[in-house]
Amino acid sequence: MKLKPLSLLASAILLGAMSTAALAEYPERPINMIIPYGAGGATDISARAISEPLSKAAGKPMVMSNITGAGGATGSVQVKNARSDGYTMLFARVGSHTVNPAMKATLPYTLDDFRFVTVYEINPVVCAVKEGSDIQSIEDLAKKAEEGGVSYSSSGVGSMLQLAAVMVLDEFGVKDPLNKATHIPQKGGGEAATAVLNGTVTFVCTNSSALANLIANKQLKPILVTTKEPLAGFDAPTAVELGKPALTELVGWTGIAGPKDLPDDVAAKWGEWMAAAVADERFMKTMTSSGSIVELMSPEDASAFINRQYETFKKLVDKLGMRVEG
Amino acid sequence: MTFLDSLMAGLSLVSNLEVFLALGLGVAIGVIAGAIPGMSATMAVALTLPFTFSMQPVTGILLLLGVYKGGIFGGSIPAILIKTPGTPASSATVMDGYPMAERGEAGRALGMALWASCTADLVSNLSLILFAGWLASFALNFGPPEFFTLILFSLTIIAGVSGESLLRGAFSALLGLLLATVGLDLIYGTNRFTFGDPNMMGGLNFIAVLIGLFAIPEVLAMAWHPTGHLGKTRSLGKNKVTFADYKKSFRSILRGSFIGVFLGSIPGIGAAPAAFLSYSEARRKSPNKANFGKGEVEGVAAAEAGNNGVAGATLIPLLALGVPGDVITAIIIGAFMVHGLQPGPMMFVVNVDLIYGLFIGLIVSSVFLLVIGSAAIRGFKYVADIPRRILIPTVLILSIYGVFAVNNSVFDIGVMLVMGWVGYLMMRMHIPAPPFLIAFILGPLLEDNFRQAMLMSGGSPVILFRGPITWFFWGLTAITLYAILRTGLRGPKPPDSDAVASPAKN
Repeated sequence: MKLKPLSLLASAILLGAMSTAALAEYPERPINMIIPYGAGGATDISARAISEPLSKAAGKPMVMSNITGAGGATGSVQVKNARSDGYTMLFARVGSHTVNPAMKATLPYTLDDFRFVTVYEINPVVCAVKEGSDIQSIEDLAKKAEEGGVSYSSSGVGSMLQLAAVMVLDEFGVKDPLNKATHIPQKGGGEAATAVLNGTVTFVCTNSSALANLIANKQLKPILVTTKEPLAGFDAPTAVELGKPALTELVGWTGIAGPKDLPDDVAAKWGEWMAAAVADERFMKTMTSSGSIVELMSPEDASAFINRQYETFKKLVDKLGMRVEG
Repeated sequence: MTFLDSLMAGLSLVSNLEVFLALGLGVAIGVIAGAIPGMSATMAVALTLPFTFSMQPVTGILLLLGVYKGGIFGGSIPAILIKTPGTPASSATVMDGYPMAERGEAGRALGMALWASCTADLVSNLSLILFAGWLASFALNFGPPEFFTLILFSLTIIAGVSGESLLRGAFSALLGLLLATVGLDLIYGTNRFTFGDPNMMGGLNFIAVLIGLFAIPEVLAMAWHPTGHLGKTRSLGKNKVTFADYKKSFRSILRGSFIGVFLGSIPGIGAAPAAFLSYSEARRKSPNKANFGKGEVEGVAAAEAGNNGVAGATLIPLLALGVPGDVITAIIIGAFMVHGLQPGPMMFVVNVDLIYGLFIGLIVSSVFLLVIGSAAIRGFKYVADIPRRILIPTVLILSIYGVFAVNNSVFDIGVMLVMGWVGYLMMRMHIPAPPFLIAFILGPLLEDNFRQAMLMSGGSPVILFRGPITWFFWGLTAITLYAILRTGLRGPKPPDSDAVASPAKN
């Protein structure tokens, strides 16, 4: 946005005046919530499910808008550049806020541009192959990958799915997984699962919710879940059972963030609202029916959790040279 | 359980008032939402989804399906009346629908769109019921190489919608291909032609390009020459479609329906290419080929049959495989999951009553579409009677609102206005817009599938000939290209010679 110096000064004064007013009685008008992914995706469903109980808790409506594009970057940038008065907030997601920042050199934002007020949903990651494939376990997959000829799908470069597949192969001892296995990116999460089903790729690692029905219908076979405890409906060993506790870091999540200068009391308000919102029965049912785990984090816990995951991913990206330049 | 038992179980599930109310309400919501430019069928379904959570599964899902089907038809209303496709799927309807409205035949065009839509809808639903399993296993044979050959063949449509000059059509298509490269590279994730602007990283918004290309040039033409339309009559839209029209177009409608069913059952193509393919096939087979693009009622019929043929067929991969075929079915899969239902082959065993309930509901929805669509046409066709000096500024406002609403982005309005000037210049230079649009839709699909195929094979082009499906489409492409070249080499036919010569004077 281009502003002339004078209007910049004026808006700075205005902003100062407004923020003191906002401090007194936030929220005094509807809150604009940006969903950086398309309608009907995992983030969108999760966001719309929490919006109703959240509006009730806040006492003002939440206006949901999908601003899609570039793997969540377009919507995220819009919140980064918004006023930090708490009236423009973002539904942040694993792809847009840990994988993308770790992988993309030219991303127009970093983690430091945002202040997280909560993470409320965790999605376990499941790796699956086609039913009837000669790969029976994750060890088989690793062995076959060493020999070459293994491929995996994802919902695009810099998506959680891509990083998950590489991380799993790396953890199970495949040397140089970037060259031994072929990454075939698809346009979205649904397409990534279909690619395994029609034999375009060997395996996919993605959120349990994206695979739940394909596995229940015995079209895909799960070979790994990244939770500590076994996951209902997914008959596969957990990362801990397989002796790879590091893989438990590999989970999807949805959280809420504002611009980095978000005032403390606004963050505190969000903490209260979220505590009330996640208790809503319908929200709970929507989340658990798609295989998500509702886990409410305080602003501090959320930041720590996200930074930890970012560091894990960053280390892997640096070790394997996965960073996308240009 | 026998077929009859399943059918009875399905009937008992849907035979209550609530289900039919939901279905009717869904169709009505869809038609209205589809008729608002920028409010696509996808958005309407996404916004309806949360309301279905508290309903019975079959009620909720039929409500969503009603919105979907209504939305795809509703998109044709503004496409015909104000040259602004309400949903991307109805962009092929503009080509003949708007010239008809210009001639004062808006009622006839809308009526034909409705009849074609309902027929295609019925064919599509019957195909779903009768051939779901067979079509689904066929669709699973479509990997990137098969897709590549199918899209390559589809690009030959460009010749069919180029109008008078193939060269101008090809130029238009090249322009579309070029603009489609803006955004993130699929395979490497690097930026292409984004000039460091985050707004460009997602590529140019399809709806903004679409509306910019079709609706805005009309506005600019009006501003350029405010009294230019006064000589032309644009009589009241009181005319109706006749049964003779329907009978004449019936072959095209049927062909379009099957093209829609075929493309709809393969995940990942969508309704817009089906509409264009159906249109270009109808034009190729028609005796009054020359009239296509100038207000031929059969063109409207073919385009609408193509896009509505997709609507029932996208449920084939959804129900038979558990795979969403497009964005809308991806949302509908969410509705299944919320109720603890897992779409896929097992559902035909575990929830057979629900499957049959949905089938019955779908058949009924075709009838509802006919009734509600007729009512909507009766209301909307008077838009054609609004004086142009009032209508055109209204179109501008609607376009701006609609494009903003898609992504809540002011940048997209800018894209639309720039594309409007591009479209206006193209209009002045007699460069047809439809090839641009087809290339813009198909170009990225062609590129992505080609590169995915190359990744699969490690760079060997042999994979592009890996099976009967690829051979089939290579063959079709070769035959079509030969036909185009032969007509091209034979030189312009006598009745066409004026048309070819006149643009050269500009």
